[in-house]
Amino acid sequence: MLATETSPPAATGRWVLDQAQARSIGLCVLSVLAVYALQPAMPIRQMDFWLPTASLVLTVVVWAATSSALATHRRPDRATLTDAALIGGITLGIAALRFAEPLSMLITRTPPPAVLSVLAALAIAALLAVAAGCIIGPRPAWTTALVIALVALLFVLKYEPLTQAFAALLRVAQGQSAAQASALDVRWLGFSYICFRWIAALRERALGRLPAMSLREFVTYAVFAPALIAGPIDRPERFLRDLRASFAFNWPDATEGVRRIAVGAFKKFVLADWLALLALNEVNAAQAQGAGWMWLLVYAYAWRIYLDFGGYTDMAIGVARIFGVRLPENFHRPYLKPNLTQFWSSWHMSLAQWFRTYYFNPLTRALRMRAWAVPTIIFVGQVTTMLLIGVWHGVTLNFALWGLWHGVGLFLHNRWADFAKGRLTAMQERPRLQVAISAAGVLLTFHFVALGWVWFALPDAALSLGVFRKLFGL
Amino acid sequence: MMDEAIAAPIAEYIAGAILKNPKRAIKPDEPLISSGLIDSFHLVDLGLFVEDKFGVRIDDSELNADTFDTLNQLVALIRSRQ
Repeated sequence: MLATETSPPAATGRWVLDQAQARSIGLCVLSVLAVYALQPAMPIRQMDFWLPTASLVLTVVVWAATSSALATHRRPDRATLTDAALIGGITLGIAALRFAEPLSMLITRTPPPAVLSVLAALAIAALLAVAAGCIIGPRPAWTTALVIALVALLFVLKYEPLTQAFAALLRVAQGQSAAQASALDVRWLGFSYICFRWIAALRERALGRLPAMSLREFVTYAVFAPALIAGPIDRPERFLRDLRASFAFNWPDATEGVRRIAVGAFKKFVLADWLALLALNEVNAAQAQGAGWMWLLVYAYAWRIYLDFGGYTDMAIGVARIFGVRLPENFHRPYLKPNLTQFWSSWHMSLAQWFRTYYFNPLTRALRMRAWAVPTIIFVGQVTTMLLIGVWHGVTLNFALWGLWHGVGLFLHNRWADFAKGRLTAMQERPRLQVAISAAGVLLTFHFVALGWVWFALPDAALSLGVFRKLFGL
Repeated sequence: MMDEAIAAPIAEYIAGAILKNPKRAIKPDEPLISSGLIDSFHLVDLGLFVEDKFGVRIDDSELNADTFDTLNQLVALIRSRQ
């Protein structure tokens, strides 16, 4: 474990960088640039510059609120000022590209705003960081206020009516018509993932477990380029261990990284994109006539979403591996698991682990202390956790129903497993029967998950019910 | 405290209270979490048991197969905290 009191490696005072330092600085620069470069254009003027800037500003604010060194010394040291200058300098540099059109198109989709506006924004960011450092920094328990604010912002971005109101506000600020506002106007790249990394750091700080991180290290952790778009969501301590480890380019890591990228690209761009033509959606759900066709659409969706997301993750892990960072795995043969509990230990593992660490485990611990009945604790824990995972994808009825489907499924499996535990011990002496039951479990679990996607894939509960009726010939 | 003195009550607790099969032997290197033998609810219970029995703190972020997956690894974690 990295000691919470350990400061980051001290500057050597020499202008000679070893490979590890060069990699650390390079990854920070690359990640900050990626925040802008990967952000798609939006109908609201200059938002493809301002939203990435907001991601960086909030990252700096969260760092200031969680930095134990800043809380102790009450002023930034030279290394912090250098890191701030590096990050602010990149932002200003991108804004300055407006004077060298069309070079700005290399980074942002539309011309960046005036340099003076960016300077003013950076000054406000510095003030916010100072305020966070002074007010929250010495009081780790107050990080909860920041967690609540971030969850509220996440809710605004996930709940369509509020996203639309937010879009209207941004449109007015940019001198555009609010009447044209749509929820699709605000596509904040990677926010769901970055936000969960901020919250992880804030919670770890509140519990006194956050290792000391320099500003540069924290920014690299929060907006790490390979994991920016779709995770995985790493833990601060684990990420920092890799970032600080000695690094020298080596062929085995590079070869493995390239192999993962190739496998991921094949899954995503060949298999998943091909299956997308067949996968369940609003249009083909209405067109499919027989139950057989409908099952085909559901199977295609189940494999498409796995290969698409799994492919992205493979590529992210592969790119990070080349730079010596071993991101956590997100999938481990999820469709070959014999029950739903094991499925959720192998599907979107970093998100599930985040929810276990910061929600399920503390909740279960607290309810256990209050001596609630075990089935009640399990029901409350499983169902509310899965509901939250559902609405993390978007605050809609269908995502909530998908979460509920899995929450209730996990509870039922838990109760069955508990019932069977003491009774089926004789089965252990009959390996063939065990294999047959396991195979049946894999088939049942896959179909439960595949049917769950019917809620996830469609925008409306009535449409999903229609698909269920067709699937079962009702 | 000897490793066996730590491992024995934990193995007994896992077999009896979690697996409901007191005769079940828990091998020192048998995967407990990654194999699905212990689910997320019982993992919290196991953490509480270890905290009560050995007076060491197991954080919520440590209740996963990365931190410990076998009896041996859990014993090592407890020893490192004592």
